[in-house]
Amino acid sequence: MDNDNRRASRRTEVLSNHLLPRPHTTTAHLSPSNCLSYAPPELSSSNPVSFDTYVMRSLLDGHNLDDRDWLFGLIVQSPLFNRQERGGRVFVSVDYNHTMEQQREETMRRIGYLLDRGVFRGWLTGDGPQEELRKLALHEVISMYDHSLAVKIGVHIFLWGGAVKFLGTKRHHDKWLRATENYELKGCFAMTELGHGSNVRGVETVTTYDSRSGEFVINTPCESAQKYWIGGAANHATHTIVFSQLYINGGNQGVHAFICPIRDSSGNVCPNIRIAECGHKIGLNGVDNGRIWFDNVRIPRENLLNSVADVSPRGEYLSSIKNVDQRFAAFLAPLTSGRVTIASSAVYISKIGLSIAIRYALTRRAFSMTPNGPEVLLLDYPSHQQRLLPLLAKIYAMSFAGLELKMLYVNRTPESNKAIHIVSSAYKATFTWNNMRTLQECREACGGQGVKSENRIGPFKGEFDVHSTFEGDNNVLMQQISKALLGEYIVCQTKKKPFRGLGLEHMNNPAPVLPSQLTSSILRSSEFQLDLFHLRERDLLGRFAAEVSQYQAQGESKESAFNLSYQVAEDLGRAFSERAILKTFIEVESKVPAGSLKDVLGLLRSLYALISVDEDAAFLRYGYLSTENAAAVRKEVLKLCTELRPHALALVSSFGIPDAFLSPIAFDWVGSNAWPSAQH
Amino acid sequence: MAFNPKPDDDQVLVEKKSCARVIILNRTRQLNALSFYMVSRLLEIFLEDEGNPDIMLVIMKGNGRAFCAGGDVSAVVRDVKGGDWRLGAKFFENEFKLNYLMATYSKPQVSILNGIVMGGGAGASIHGRFRVATEKTVFAMPETELGLFPDVGSTYFLSRLPGFFGEYVGLTGARLDGAEMLTCGLATHFVPSSKLSLLEESLYKVESNDATTVSAIIDKYSEQPSLKENSVYHRMDAINRCFSRNTVEEILYYLEMEAMNNKADNWASTTIQTLKKASPTSLKVFLKLIRKARLQGIGQCLITDYRVVCHVLQGHYSKDFFEGCRAILMDKDRKPKWEPSRLELVNDRHVDCYFAKLDDEGWKDLELPERLNNLPPYVTSKL
Repeated sequence: MDNDNRRASRRTEVLSNHLLPRPHTTTAHLSPSNCLSYAPPELSSSNPVSFDTYVMRSLLDGHNLDDRDWLFGLIVQSPLFNRQERGGRVFVSVDYNHTMEQQREETMRRIGYLLDRGVFRGWLTGDGPQEELRKLALHEVISMYDHSLAVKIGVHIFLWGGAVKFLGTKRHHDKWLRATENYELKGCFAMTELGHGSNVRGVETVTTYDSRSGEFVINTPCESAQKYWIGGAANHATHTIVFSQLYINGGNQGVHAFICPIRDSSGNVCPNIRIAECGHKIGLNGVDNGRIWFDNVRIPRENLLNSVADVSPRGEYLSSIKNVDQRFAAFLAPLTSGRVTIASSAVYISKIGLSIAIRYALTRRAFSMTPNGPEVLLLDYPSHQQRLLPLLAKIYAMSFAGLELKMLYVNRTPESNKAIHIVSSAYKATFTWNNMRTLQECREACGGQGVKSENRIGPFKGEFDVHSTFEGDNNVLMQQISKALLGEYIVCQTKKKPFRGLGLEHMNNPAPVLPSQLTSSILRSSEFQLDLFHLRERDLLGRFAAEVSQYQAQGESKESAFNLSYQVAEDLGRAFSERAILKTFIEVESKVPAGSLKDVLGLLRSLYALISVDEDAAFLRYGYLSTENAAAVRKEVLKLCTELRPHALALVSSFGIPDAFLSPIAFDWVGSNAWPSAQH
Repeated sequence: MAFNPKPDDDQVLVEKKSCARVIILNRTRQLNALSFYMVSRLLEIFLEDEGNPDIMLVIMKGNGRAFCAGGDVSAVVRDVKGGDWRLGAKFFENEFKLNYLMATYSKPQVSILNGIVMGGGAGASIHGRFRVATEKTVFAMPETELGLFPDVGSTYFLSRLPGFFGEYVGLTGARLDGAEMLTCGLATHFVPSSKLSLLEESLYKVESNDATTVSAIIDKYSEQPSLKENSVYHRMDAINRCFSRNTVEEILYYLEMEAMNNKADNWASTTIQTLKKASPTSLKVFLKLIRKARLQGIGQCLITDYRVVCHVLQGHYSKDFFEGCRAILMDKDRKPKWEPSRLELVNDRHVDCYFAKLDDEGWKDLELPERLNNLPPYVTSKL
């Protein structure tokens, strides 16, 4: 009876517990002390900070730190940027539940806010390195918030505005530059066609001149000539730059650029223009990519961007540059700035990925070494170190190299244009490929948490994938480097003059001799590392030249000889980029006063050099290293990772990325996933 | 307790009610302005109490019509004029250490802000866990008008206010009432002053240092005040439009646009007048400070504040602080002669000087009291 009573009352309790929602309290036998709790990595003695992270950040960012922080602040403080509070901390990122159309409207609203705050001031009307650096810095910050926002702005200002500025003359500047900066119109850039992308010279759009009316007539002669992927065209743009073949009196003068209105101020598509959507994409859905067809569209003669060539009212073709190749190269100038910004934004995105993955690896534990022992922090596993820390070293190296490229770009002269073209091609390809690899590794290193959109790394993979093909396909760019290097090589050989520029001066010296036994201290010396990289570049350049000339001797054309030698060309492109990056790193390091910061940089530089060697089969394939020495390099990588492990936190803190940009798993992921935060 | 007849002794009254430490600022004639003695005494109390298991929470209040009107800067100026700016720096050193301790304290601090809360008074309360405002509260950071800048780590909490309200409050020294403090987050609760004694009685009975328990007690006496119709908080859009700008000059420019577009309303023009009265150097230094602070932890903010304040006291780059104190606190002519006198004469390099380490023998950066595993200040921002 007593027993029955007890059972009955227990049953009643269970039922009432189900029926009456109770305030969620932890019961005594579920004491929170058994739960995993989050400990900020800053509090752990295994993450000492041995150098001033702000000084390190100054080395990495290199310029306009205050402007960057101002813009970070503008973004974090505005409700337009989708602030979310998680675990008592504010995070910003786009709303991942938005449809494509909503994303596009959000992007425009954000542009309006930034415009209103003076962010774009001087982006086109300003001149000189200081103005350009400010613009680059702010654009980098924008891309760290949202790639769509950065690209939408980049198309309008760098591509449309840049084309008007670099390809146009005073009459265009007066009319369009300030108006563009103030968004009185919205520009886009119609270069790519369905049938032609990287090969711009092949575009099929046709423009003729009608001397009776003084107008150009633009036509899309066939479906493959439709303009494709035109960012801004689908919804918002009012004007475009059209790249088109220009025919004068039946003769083709090559590709030229024209300004053409495509919508009126109320957003209606202009007569004789047809516009369609490109559809949903793997990323960048906040950018309205569209397709454009031109049906006998008439534009005034003055709309030809005429810095390179002009057409007189009577229809005569006038150009100061007689060589068609050179004329074409001049038309592509606006794309260089695109490659510079893409290269550096790829580095900043990798920094976000690494900051998140490394902070998570410093707080997340998995598996115990001993029964009942504490679980081990992810970053204390040598395997996890070797997944993330070499990527960290690469990002340090690429930061410095990207900064040097920016400096080269903003201080450009006619003489440095060729070097900028080559270096920007090399870095754009190298950094964007590296970014994709880094993001994938970081996503995996965060386990399931990496799959959540709010933790940013996953969506970044889709968002930034396009980097590897836009503004020049990476593979094409890498082949261009080898071609350009070969050009230098042939000139120096035939004219018997020494190499100058592009860092090729080492070719004038005798080939470096490497020690046969590689000790740890040799492997870590910058002289040895540079010798090894020089040896590879020099040998590959020689091989490439020999192979191309051998094919030519067999009767192949020059073009076909290049194509047949693409394997060596690929190796050479990589050798050039990695050597240039290493050299910059060594220069940065040499300017830092002795101390803990310099020591850490030394570890990073060695890890960068040795992981690059470890990952490139060319060192073994062509015998620059013996198998024993290649094994020694690999062992040293592991040792360097162990030595860098205590600095990992300080090294990602030095990126200077505000917490709000780093996503919940970079901080208290227990708190941000706790029940109360699910109640909002 | 020994009866040491020190004249300063009664400036801070210390009581213990059950588990609560009650600290009363008691220098009513000076509106409880913090003297060197008070700052040092508070520091001592907070350090002692942290290890005392009998004490669960700290209640801070002021006697008279102020909670605390700030640091006693006229005394500091007297010290510096006496020939040694280091003596003045010592005051700020202790004050900032106290601020840091409060910001990282392991026991909840409840500050009852029933009256004036300005400058150093904000530093002694806002960093603590709970700030109770009343209908009598008047809050302001008026330092720019004195040729100083809002210090006491205030850039930390001001930069975290909604939008660019912090820039507005710090640059203009705008007065806020209790309702506004609650709305923007400077206060955590609003309790009518008539209920304060009941609130205190309940707090004395608390037997745990758990913040949610304490919060629940204050909640019982709290009310939701409504903002006055002419509250500046209704102008948040205009504030964001103007105070989000990158430089003080641009802020003024956009305020002027605001004034032109909205002639019926004199908020923008009054704000312009206020900014024009303040020291140009102070405005620029503060704007840079608050922009940096957005990304910094409280420790780093205080270290930077200390550097800047030492430069101000040393007076190599500008003597505006002494001039401001002369005009506002001593001669009371309210006509300070700032040097440089106009914003455009204060260039970026001039501002940057205030952020560099001092080149003065034996001078050191502020050393924060050891907390949390002796964290280096440059990492605290991520905590």
